[in-house]
Amino acid sequence: MRRLLQARYVVPAVLAGCVGMVGLLGFSPGAAQAVDGPSTTTPVPQLTSPPLPTPIGQPTAPSASSVLTYRSPSNQTGIFYTDLPAAFIAPGQALFASNCSSCHGQDANGATGVAPNLQRLGAGTVDFWVSTGRMPLANAGVQAIRKPPRFNRLQTLEIAAWVQSLTPGVGTKVPLVGTGSADLEAGNTLFTLNCAACHTITGSGDALMGGAYAPGLHLATTTQIVEAIRSGPGNMPRFGPGNITNTQARDIAAYVQGVIQHPSNPGGFALGGIGPVGEGFVGLLLGVGILMLVCFWIGERT
Amino acid sequence: MIDKSLRWIDDRLGIAKGGRTFLDKIFPDHWSFMLGEIALYSFVVLLATGVFLSLYYIPSANEIVYHGSYLPLHGQRVSEAYASSVSLSFDVKSGLLMRQAHHWAADIFLGSIAVHMARVFFTGAFRKPREFNWIVGVSMLILGIVNGFLGYSLPDDLVSGTGIRIAFSIVESIPLVGSYLAFFLFGGNYPGNGVIIPRFYILHILIVPLLIMVLLGAHLGLLVKQKHTQFKGKGKTEHNVVGSPMFPTFMAKTTGFLFMSTAAIFLLGGFAQINPIWQFGQYEPFQISYAVQPDWYMGWLDGAARIMPSWEWVGWGHTIPLEVFLPAVIFPGIIFNILILWPFIESRHTKDLAYHNLLDRPRDRPKRTAAGAAMLMLLGMTFFASSTDVMANFLELPLKSVLWFFRFAVIIAPIIAYFITYKICNEMRAAEGIGKRKRAQVVLRSSTGEYTTVDSEPRPGDGYEELEAIPVPTYIDLVPPELVTGAGVRRVMR
Repeated sequence: MRRLLQARYVVPAVLAGCVGMVGLLGFSPGAAQAVDGPSTTTPVPQLTSPPLPTPIGQPTAPSASSVLTYRSPSNQTGIFYTDLPAAFIAPGQALFASNCSSCHGQDANGATGVAPNLQRLGAGTVDFWVSTGRMPLANAGVQAIRKPPRFNRLQTLEIAAWVQSLTPGVGTKVPLVGTGSADLEAGNTLFTLNCAACHTITGSGDALMGGAYAPGLHLATTTQIVEAIRSGPGNMPRFGPGNITNTQARDIAAYVQGVIQHPSNPGGFALGGIGPVGEGFVGLLLGVGILMLVCFWIGERT
Repeated sequence: MIDKSLRWIDDRLGIAKGGRTFLDKIFPDHWSFMLGEIALYSFVVLLATGVFLSLYYIPSANEIVYHGSYLPLHGQRVSEAYASSVSLSFDVKSGLLMRQAHHWAADIFLGSIAVHMARVFFTGAFRKPREFNWIVGVSMLILGIVNGFLGYSLPDDLVSGTGIRIAFSIVESIPLVGSYLAFFLFGGNYPGNGVIIPRFYILHILIVPLLIMVLLGAHLGLLVKQKHTQFKGKGKTEHNVVGSPMFPTFMAKTTGFLFMSTAAIFLLGGFAQINPIWQFGQYEPFQISYAVQPDWYMGWLDGAARIMPSWEWVGWGHTIPLEVFLPAVIFPGIIFNILILWPFIESRHTKDLAYHNLLDRPRDRPKRTAAGAAMLMLLGMTFFASSTDVMANFLELPLKSVLWFFRFAVIIAPIIAYFITYKICNEMRAAEGIGKRKRAQVVLRSSTGEYTTVDSEPRPGDGYEELEAIPVPTYIDLVPPELVTGAGVRRVMR
């Protein structure tokens, strides 16, 4: 017994035990699927409709709720570009004045070298930047980072409505995306062709030149995805309806939400989804490392 | 009955004598001597899982419409190779486990070869008379890397297809013969007429494994013929081998190790996802994903190509793309030549032509150890350079800064590593009492109250003593019991 408690046996045993425990704790249903044989469970991507934009806060705009809960069952494309109600404009102006105007100016026409002109960009562009938390800007770096949004859904749309009201009918409108009848296979092809070159095929995102980066897509809502496609935020190209039709944009959004964000992903831990870099580290440190410990453990026993 | 039939066979074939040599082969009891076995056993796992995969994989670039159980791919036109790889992952029982275990085994195979090779290098086990075995080992490493790349390419997914595209360009970059060679290998201009998948397949499952197996046989045959090296120590000389015999001690150890290696590989195969090809989709030459790297053992080549400035030479109507040719052809050529020729480079430098069966401690050969450390640092830096984009993203640094860091680091870091290692080796050698057993310090108090310390008397076993060898028995059933007891240590004369 005392022999067994010597450090040279205990240390590898404890290490192996720890690894085993981690393995057991992390035994996700996905991993179980791989071991049990996937033939019984066909991976069906989650195809839920996007959460409807529900107004939070003061229920002072009864006219707003009818627009916000609007879904377009008759619309073939699954994307409905909404005109925000006029009632949003006044509170939007107040919010803009107190939160955005210090950089973008009282008329949202920007200031050279400080902030861009927001006129003519449209409500959808504003909604993208504010609802992803990128605006208001945390600090002036190469690229605005995604963070929890400062405004609720209603406030965001109010700001968007005011900016839109400066140039009515110009720029990207706020889309309402219904993915119920989306074509995932088309979304897959379009995503690979148009998006994977920067956002990577797994949607994890990666670095671009000059300190910029393509962000990961795991938090984006379908509305934000379509807004990004149409408005081209930051370094991203802007895809007009001639490049990507509304139907195709809907399919891409459905693919990102259904497959990228909720992958049917058997095979165990995804190791960050960053490909062979993560796999190499695991293979060398865990695989070869553990076997070297085993060598050490049994090597000098005679 | 068994005894009779065995005798009948032995009377005709005379295999008992060879078997005797094999069963009495002595394995030194140092843990680092088992590193090469990780490679051996992961190769066994590779063969077994590879046979399983070959039952379901279809090596064909013919386009079909996918109708398997992975819904997002439904209705897409994909190659049969890709479709069969996806369906062997989803629709074949334990198919994904086998595919992942095969991939992990490949990563571990090459990783353990690297670790084993480092052990052989730093202890000087490659010296006369073992230069041949070193060359055989390096050849297996090269073949292993090649076969890893071929296997990585077979699923025909987006990530591996990008790798094949790069391979085509690398072959094309060779001056004069490059484009002819590339067209020959791919059956025409890229992406070929669908011949590359069947060609890679036959290389991956037959030709290269066969070469590896032949070399493996030579590797182990030479090991038995030349006998193991051993570290300096009690009773160990240039003319003997001290350790455990193949049967029964080492046989038990190594069989257990086979099972443990297999278990570790299959644990990874079950728990850790590797190469989720269904996410990547079918390779199309006009599509690309970002964040694409090769498997780790190709990483140093990828990294070298990434950090190379875009130079090219144009003249006499020809272009030599140095930005591809130098890092992807010349650089590995130099590295592999240094590795293969190292025993000769070293013996020319040291003028040492003697037989060596006793190993060096790394600190006793500061120059070799420092050179090895510098080489590891060079390869390590180019290896890390293959993930410049991932690193820039994680560390939130500009990609260019990371790139420039590595351009300098691949040159400076090996030099620093050389001098630091050299210094550490020399200082370790100069330390008092190094390599000797520590004596207890005895504190004495004199009659006047003065305290002094002296070393204790040497303990038994501190000095040199020759071990009593257990004589090798003629027949196992004739071994007297008093000879098989003891410490399990045997000694044979060379």
